[in-house]
Amino acid sequence: MLAGGSAMGALLTPAPWRLIKDASLLSETWPGVPRPKTGTVATRFTNCSLCTAGCAVRARCIGKQPVQLAGVAGHPLSHGALCAYGIAGHHLPYHPDRLKSGAAEEAMAAVSGTIAKCVAGERVAVLDLRPGRTHSWTYRRAMNAVRNGLYLTPERQWRSDSAVDLGAAKVVLSFGTPLLDSWGTPGNVIAARENFRLIQAEAVESRTASMADLWLPVRPGSENALALRIANRLLDSGANSKDLPAGFRERVQMAESVDTGIADEQIRAVAGHLSSGGPALVLAASGSPDILALNLLIGAKGRTIVGRRETPVPEQWKNAAPETELSTVPDGSLRVLLIDESAPGEYVPWSSIERKLAPAAVVVAFAWSRDGYGRHASCVLPTAVYPESLDDVPAAVDSVTAAFRLSTPLMEARAGVVNPAEFVGKLGGVDAAGALRERADAIAKSGRGSVFTYADGKSAPVKQMKSDDFWKALNEGACWMDDRDAKAPLPALHFRERAASPVAIAEERGAAALVSPLMSKVYEESRLRLGKRGVALHPSSGLADGARAMLETDCGRMEVNVTLDSSVPPNVVQAAAGSELSDLCGPSAWAKVVRI
Amino acid sequence: MTKAARYGMSIDVDRCNGCGACMVACAVENNIPPAHAGANDRKGITWIRVYKVDNGKEYPEKRSAFVPVLCQHCGNEAPCVHVCPQQAVDVDPATGIVEQMAERCLGCRYCMAACPYHARYFNWWDPAWPAGMEQTLNPDVAPRMRGVVEKCNLCHGRRHAAREQAAAAGVPKAEPVEYVPACVEACPTGAIQFGDLNAPQSAPALAASSGAFRLLEKLGTDPKIYYQSKKPWVREMANAPRPGARKEQQHG
Repeated sequence: MLAGGSAMGALLTPAPWRLIKDASLLSETWPGVPRPKTGTVATRFTNCSLCTAGCAVRARCIGKQPVQLAGVAGHPLSHGALCAYGIAGHHLPYHPDRLKSGAAEEAMAAVSGTIAKCVAGERVAVLDLRPGRTHSWTYRRAMNAVRNGLYLTPERQWRSDSAVDLGAAKVVLSFGTPLLDSWGTPGNVIAARENFRLIQAEAVESRTASMADLWLPVRPGSENALALRIANRLLDSGANSKDLPAGFRERVQMAESVDTGIADEQIRAVAGHLSSGGPALVLAASGSPDILALNLLIGAKGRTIVGRRETPVPEQWKNAAPETELSTVPDGSLRVLLIDESAPGEYVPWSSIERKLAPAAVVVAFAWSRDGYGRHASCVLPTAVYPESLDDVPAAVDSVTAAFRLSTPLMEARAGVVNPAEFVGKLGGVDAAGALRERADAIAKSGRGSVFTYADGKSAPVKQMKSDDFWKALNEGACWMDDRDAKAPLPALHFRERAASPVAIAEERGAAALVSPLMSKVYEESRLRLGKRGVALHPSSGLADGARAMLETDCGRMEVNVTLDSSVPPNVVQAAAGSELSDLCGPSAWAKVVRI
Repeated sequence: MTKAARYGMSIDVDRCNGCGACMVACAVENNIPPAHAGANDRKGITWIRVYKVDNGKEYPEKRSAFVPVLCQHCGNEAPCVHVCPQQAVDVDPATGIVEQMAERCLGCRYCMAACPYHARYFNWWDPAWPAGMEQTLNPDVAPRMRGVVEKCNLCHGRRHAAREQAAAAGVPKAEPVEYVPACVEACPTGAIQFGDLNAPQSAPALAASSGAFRLLEKLGTDPKIYYQSKKPWVREMANAPRPGARKEQQHG
């Protein structure tokens, strides 16, 4: 009786409950749960090289291992911002899909052998997805030394000699540009956003459209016509330019009969904003010449589109192969093609590349994974990934001055990775190893601009620095920027003929083929963005949310996951970013989703 | 006597572009693993989740907005605290933070059912990272095991680190301390602001006094997360009826 009472009494004391808690504390560290690494905490700085923005990064490291990445407050370009991809960038070296090995010597032998056998008319080329880097200069120098060498880039709407000055704009008319979702330098765009009125013309209610001051839900495929109708109103009000593209005025007249889905009064109002709302700017996701020509009519050149000086390079580098756009190369002419995918840039659909290849061409891709061109190349060589790779990041489209910053490695690269610049440099007898230092020396020698150092948040003029100090600062986390008041010649707007806007619309973000596994928070564990092989359709499509379906285009078919979203207009397919869907949808003017 | 704080947030819905940086930064900070093979938007763990909401109209009148939703750190009768049989949920009187003690949790998920904001998440699987990626874990936060519930704690690892730093500098360990949660630091548009609601000049206090709204305010839970928007339909959405309420009305 006494024992039973004691037992009951003990149960009413905190002791047994404390025991349960302590036992569960032990179970917290059972073998199934990883233990975080501990050690000395250090702060290091670098620049993100995952996209062209090159945002400044403050890394919290345990030993040599970064455990947390954040932006650098007060940075004159990135303004402390770092996107979701950049925040999780330190996971990339451990990505399960990362390429671990490749036959570099065999690839070199195959390339050298094929170059030796090239006949007249056959070309050897490097396709650089992110031009303007020091690696790019190495490619240009090497291709200059190689017989029949070509340095290729994707089509570029904005070259390094021009920039967009969002800080000067009071009105921005954007045709599908993801201005508020990863365009340019996100922190810079957000900092400038308060000062301009944003008008977004886009079929889908994108993130940018949902945050715009005015969204014009233009009928898919009629964006060009809308721009021409706005141009007509501007011409009526006396705007003019002698540099308009050929046949522009004829197309303006023809566009009057096209149904754009936007009322005449609204078109007139938009033209009014552009002509009298202060300095204005027109951006086009498609690079359509008729849309970009609006900039000529509103006087954007010299006000919101400005000239930008080149970042200095050593004199001896200037004897290099010129930039050639891939689309201008004759079909069937490339005997050897080396694709640098290690610095993610605009993905060129494979069909646009394939048609340029000669029969039995050798294609070597330098990549992080097989997700991109590795699916098509004869040989894929693994490269270092951010943040273990050393590279530089040139100025983004919205940086009004030239810039130079290093993406300094925060951790050691995996053994067996190939440096694409060294590989290509060998073909042309160019030493790539010291190129970054040579370029930094050329900048220091020029005495131009100033350096913003991340550790102390201070700027210092380059002319007061020794070359070694400049190099040290760059490696410890800094950004060189050219003098703001330096005069640069006004750029030419590059007009080229483009196909009509496709019905299949790619989702905003299309950069790195490899993203942190933690991005599942955004793609799978929430429904914030379309996941891999995802398409969005209007609920009237007749398909169920979450259904599997077959997406068919001119280029083939693929099984996709369907999301119903009333932000997408009826009869339009919004496709997720990614190389597979880009290959399928990129050059296609139509898409069809079939129930399976 | 220790000075008490009442930490809260203000979220400007009109500034949120739905980029997801807050969700990823939260996962990095709090050692939340990537999705398990079987995870989806119901079973995934996102202490802060950005929902896309709309005005309910058809295209092209439809308008969308992004609303980040995290634990609302209810200040009055927090439902999760009351239903927990293990006392694994507690409100810290010094900070007002609703704390979840994973080591006490037995995984009954009553708190998940009780939470009107769907801000609690259950660990259906042991946390796992791709080989080698566990080296990137934050040393200040312990990963949680399978079978327990977890949720936002306003980055207690950062708060403790700030307290330690303050103590090292000779400042008494009193609240409030100078720190910001990971989501606040990561937000590129500055839509999320953090501070002490007891401090009149803090961003959340200013928001609270200038017409900000809270989610499901009519429930009387006194959330400490304040939302701002100039769009009337966004403000109306915050007072959506409880799940099932419309159905009950239809059935009389």
